[in-house]
Amino acid sequence: MKRKVGALEKVDADLPNLQHKIKTDPISYQDDFVNQYGLYTSIHELFLTSPTTTDDTGLVRLRDLIDFISHTADCYPKIAGTFPNDLIKLLQLHHATLEPELRDKIVGSLVLLRKKDMIDSNTLLNTLWPLLVSTPSKSLRALLYQKIVSDLRNSNNKATNHKLNRSMQTTCYNLISSDPASPKGIWAVKLTRELWKRQVWSDAKAVSIMEIAALSQDAKVVTGGVRFFLGGDQEREDAADEDSDQEEKNISMGKLRHQAGINKKTAKRDNDLRAAAAKLKRKEKKKGTPHPLNFSALHLLHDPQGFAEKLFHQHLQPSQPKVRLVLEQKLFVLQLVSRLVGLHKLTLIPLYSYFLKFLTPRQPSVTSFLASLGQATHSLVPPDALEPLVQKIANEFVSEASAAEVASAGLNGIREVCARQPLAMNETLLQDLVQYRKSKDKGVQMAARGLLSLYREVGAEMLRKRDRGRDAAMKVRAGDVGGARRFGHVEGGGIEGLELLEQWKEEQGMEGSEDEAAGWEKWDAQSDNSESDTGWVNVESEGEEIDISDSEDEREKAAAKKRKIEVAQRKKSDKENVDGDGDAAADKPAAEDNTSAAAEASERTTASLEPEAALKREESRISTLATTRILTPADLAKLQELRQNAALTHALPSAKRRKLAAASAAAQAARHTDDAVTAADIAGLAKLSHKSTKEEKVRMAKGLGLPNGATEDAGANDHRSTTARRKEKKAAEGKSTTNREKARKKNFLMTLGKAKKKGKRSLGVQRGILKAHVERGKRGGKRGNKGQAGGGS
Amino acid sequence: MGSSTKKKNEKKKGDFQKTKLKVGKTRPTNTNATDTSFAAKSIVLKQQNLGESGRDATTLFNHNLSLLSSKNETQRRDALQYLTAACISFGVANLPQSPGAIIAKAQSLILDGNSDVRTQLLKLLKVLPTTDLGSLDQILLYARAGMAHLSNDIKLFALDIVDWLLVSSPETLMACPGGWIKMLRTFQNLLVWQGEAVNGVVTHGKWSATRSTSNKLGSSKLLVHQLNTLTMFLTAGLTPPPIDPLAEVKRAALVFPLLETQCHLLPAKSEPFGYLNLFGAVRDVESEVYADADERANIFNELGMLDIFKAGAREAKKEAGEVGRAASGLEKALRLAEVG
Repeated sequence: MKRKVGALEKVDADLPNLQHKIKTDPISYQDDFVNQYGLYTSIHELFLTSPTTTDDTGLVRLRDLIDFISHTADCYPKIAGTFPNDLIKLLQLHHATLEPELRDKIVGSLVLLRKKDMIDSNTLLNTLWPLLVSTPSKSLRALLYQKIVSDLRNSNNKATNHKLNRSMQTTCYNLISSDPASPKGIWAVKLTRELWKRQVWSDAKAVSIMEIAALSQDAKVVTGGVRFFLGGDQEREDAADEDSDQEEKNISMGKLRHQAGINKKTAKRDNDLRAAAAKLKRKEKKKGTPHPLNFSALHLLHDPQGFAEKLFHQHLQPSQPKVRLVLEQKLFVLQLVSRLVGLHKLTLIPLYSYFLKFLTPRQPSVTSFLASLGQATHSLVPPDALEPLVQKIANEFVSEASAAEVASAGLNGIREVCARQPLAMNETLLQDLVQYRKSKDKGVQMAARGLLSLYREVGAEMLRKRDRGRDAAMKVRAGDVGGARRFGHVEGGGIEGLELLEQWKEEQGMEGSEDEAAGWEKWDAQSDNSESDTGWVNVESEGEEIDISDSEDEREKAAAKKRKIEVAQRKKSDKENVDGDGDAAADKPAAEDNTSAAAEASERTTASLEPEAALKREESRISTLATTRILTPADLAKLQELRQNAALTHALPSAKRRKLAAASAAAQAARHTDDAVTAADIAGLAKLSHKSTKEEKVRMAKGLGLPNGATEDAGANDHRSTTARRKEKKAAEGKSTTNREKARKKNFLMTLGKAKKKGKRSLGVQRGILKAHVERGKRGGKRGNKGQAGGGS
Repeated sequence: MGSSTKKKNEKKKGDFQKTKLKVGKTRPTNTNATDTSFAAKSIVLKQQNLGESGRDATTLFNHNLSLLSSKNETQRRDALQYLTAACISFGVANLPQSPGAIIAKAQSLILDGNSDVRTQLLKLLKVLPTTDLGSLDQILLYARAGMAHLSNDIKLFALDIVDWLLVSSPETLMACPGGWIKMLRTFQNLLVWQGEAVNGVVTHGKWSATRSTSNKLGSSKLLVHQLNTLTMFLTAGLTPPPIDPLAEVKRAALVFPLLETQCHLLPAKSEPFGYLNLFGAVRDVESEVYADADERANIFNELGMLDIFKAGAREAKKEAGEVGRAASGLEKALRLAEVG
C-alpha cells in the first residue's frame, strides 16, 4: 500500500525533474546530486544490514534512487565513482534474496551505466554471466540473457570487438569443458547459437564451443550442440533474409513525403521524414556492399575426423554410456556424424556396421536412418563396407510382398547410397531392383526409375541391354566407362569453356608467345572494365590497410586509361574482321556475331555423335591448353565472354532439350555434394500411393489440410474446382465481379418489380426501350465516350 | 387464449431474456462476472489483532512493539503512544524489553512519512533510560539517511534525533563506526561547504549558477538547526571526557592489593571487542572508529575539514541574525579542534 505524498514532499521528491535538470546543467546541480548521492549511500548501507526487507514504507525507495543515480552518474564520475561497484556487489551477493523489482532495476541500471561508459562490457558481462548460470529465478534469467545478447550485439555493432568476443567465448567454452555433465552448459549453447544466428560470432572459436557442447555429457547440451551444426547455418541465412525483407517492406519514401505534405507540419514529423530518408540511404549503401563471406559451421571445424569419431564412439556406440539419449536425440547425433562423414569424406568404418541393425522396416523413423546412411556414403567408402547394407535394404524393404511405402523408401535409400558410391551395387541385384519400375505403385515406380537413370549414367554396363537407353548404350559401345568404375578414382577438374577459348585462338591465329605477352600487358585495363560484369567484388580485409603512395597511384591510373582506349579500338577492329568474312554468321543475332563461328563449332562437337576416336582426340587436344601455358588475364576475360555467348546459343530451341537434361543432372549432382539428405527424400513419392479415406478427402476438399497435422503446401492440397480456385484468386487480388456475376447474384426480391412490370409495358414504351438499347450499344455502353458524345439519351 | 398471453409476458420477463446489444456501446457485463482487474503482490492486513482484553502488561508491551512495523500509520502512532506511556509507568528499572531492543524496533520510523508518527517516536526516545542503549550504529545510519532525505520535515526530525543522541550518550555515538567523519561529511554535504568552492565559480571553463547560503526553503530554520546540531556534535566529539581523579583512587582502594584489576576481568559491556572489527567489512578512513577526543581532532585537521568548516562558518556568520548567531557558536566549537 502506498501512502499519499504531501504536496511539499512531492516537489522535493521529484527525482525525474531533478534528473532532467542535471542533464541540462550538471555543474549547477552538483550539490543536489551530492545530497541525493548521500541519501543513496545511507539507504544503501541500511539496506546492506538487512537485504531481505522491503523498503516500501519510506518516502524514498532505493530503487528510485538507483535509477536516478544511474541516469546521472556520468555527469559526476568523480563523486559516483564507486556506484557501479556497489551495484555489482549488491547483485552478486544478494541476487537470490532481492526483491524482484529492485533486482531487475539493478540489472537495468548496470546496462545503462555500460551505455554511458561508466563500466566496460567486460565487467558487465563478467557480472551478468555467472548470475545467468547460477540464479534460480526464471524471470531474472530471461532478463539477463536478453541483456547479455544485446550488449554483445551492441559492442560488435560498429566493428567486431575481438577482445570481448574472445573472452566471452572462452567463458562459454570453460563453462562446458569444466563440467561436461552439468546442464548449465545449455546457456553457453544458447548464447552461441543466438550470436551465430545474428552473425556476431562467425569464427572457428564459436564452432569449437558447439563442438565441445556436442561432446558433453548432458543430453540437452548435446542436443543443443548437435542441432546447431545441423541447422545453425540455415537459421543464420533465414535471419539475414528476414532482416532485409523487413527493411524493404517498411519504407515507402513517396508515401511518406506525400503524407508530410498533407499532415500538419511538426518538428517530430520532420524528424521522422529525415530519419526515414537516412534509413533508406543506409539501406542503399548496404545493398552495394558485398555479401559477407560466412563459412558454414561444418567447414570451420578444427578436426572433423576426430570430432566425428568422438561423437560416434561417445554417443552412438559407447562402451559405457555417459549420457542417455532418446531415439530422437540419437538420430540428431547420427545425422551430424553422417553429415560430417559425407561432407569431409571421412573414413569411419564402424559407422556402417552400426547402421546394420537399424535397417528394418519395423524400426521407428527408419527413413531418417536411411537418409543418414545415404549421407554417410561418399566415393572413398570401401564398397565392401556398403555392400551388405545395400543387400540388407534390398532384402528387408524391397519385395513384392512389402508395402509400397516400404519398398519405395528402400529403393530411394539404395539410390542415395549408390549415387555416392556406385560400386556398392552388384549386377544381379541392380537388374532385379530395376524391374520394380514396372510396379503398379507410383512411388515404387518412380524410385526404381530413379535408380535406373542413375545407373544409366554411372554404370550402364551393369544394366541389361534393353534398359540402358540410347545415350548410355552409345557410351558403352564407345567404351567410355573405365574410370568411374574403379574405387578411388577421382574425376579431374576442368575449366568450363576452355575448348571454346582454344578454338577461338586457333581461328584468330594467336599461337605465338608475343600474343601472350600482349595479353599480360593489358591485364590491368581488362580487369578494369570487366569488373562491372564479372561478378567479382573486392572484399576489403578488416583492420589492415594497404598503403600506396599517391603519386604512383595516379601515374598508373593515367596509364590504365590510355590502355583502355587502345583496347576498345582493338576490339572494334576485331569485330569488323569477323563480320567481314563470316557469312555463316549472317543469320545469327547480332549479339553473338563476335564468336558465332566458335560457338557453332563447339555446338557441333558437343552435339555430334561421332565415334570414340574423334572424341578422344579432341579431349587430349583441349587439355593441352591449360596444362602447357598460363592463361593470361586477357584470356580469362575472353573465356568469360565466350562462355556467355555459348550460353546464348544454348538457349535456342534446338539445344533446349539437351540443356534441360544437363541442368537437371547438374542439380542432382549439386544436391549430392553439400546438402543434407532428409527423411523426406527417402520417403519420396510414397504419399502418392497412399489411398486416402473418405474423411480425408472431404477434409482436403474443404481446405482443412491433412488430418494428422502433416504439412503440405497449399497448392498440392487444393482439391476444389478450377472455377472455385479462380474465383478465390480474383477475390484475393481485390478484383471486382463481372456484370453477369452481379446479375446472377442479385437478390431475388429486387428483381421482382421489374419482372412484374415487364409484361405489362405498352408497345410505345417497349419501342422506346428497344431504341434506347440500340442507341446505347452504338455509344458503347451506358456512359461510353462520355466526353465526346455530349448529348444525353 | 388469455392464459397464453400471460405466459408470453411471463416468458418475456424470464431468466433467459436476451439483453439487447447496441452498436458502439460497451457490452453489458454479465451478472455473474468476476472482477479480475486487480493484481496484488502482497496481502496487507489493515487491522491487526487489536483485542487487548485478558493480557498482561508485558505481552501488551511486546504486542505494541510488534505493531511498530504495521502498515497502518495510525496504528503505528498509537503503538508508539502506548509504548511511551508504558515506559513511564513501568519505570526505568523494570522495562519488559531493554532500551536497545526498543530502539532497534523503532529506529526505522525515523524515515516514516507521517509527521505524527515521527513526533511520537521522539517522545518515546526521550522517555527511554539513557543507560543501556546498546550499539547505536543502526540508528545513526537512519539518522544520517534522514539528514540527507528529500523531505525537509524528515531532515529537521533527523537533526532532533541526533540532538537526542548527543544529549543521551555522546560517547557511544562517537564509538560507532563512521560516527565521527561520516557524520561530519554528511553535515558538510548538507551545508554545501565544498572546500575551495566559492559562489559562482568557474569549473571546467563553465559558469555555474550562484547559490545562496540560505536554504531554498525561504526560512533559515533548517540551516540554523543544522548549525546548532553541528556545534553540539563538534563540542561533544572534541571535548575530552572529564576525568574524575577521585574515582581512580576509590577503585584502587577497593581492590587494594591488586593492580589494574578491570583489565583482567570479563568485560561487562556488550560486544567488548567490537572495535576490533573482526567479522565486519574492512573500514576506510570515514567509517573508522575514533576512540578519544585527540584522535578525533587530529583526523579532523588531517582531512582538511577544519579549514573548510571555518570558511563555511565565516560565510554563514555574515548572514547575521539567527544564522549568524548559530555560526558564531560553531566557530567557538571549532576552536576546540584548533587547540587539540
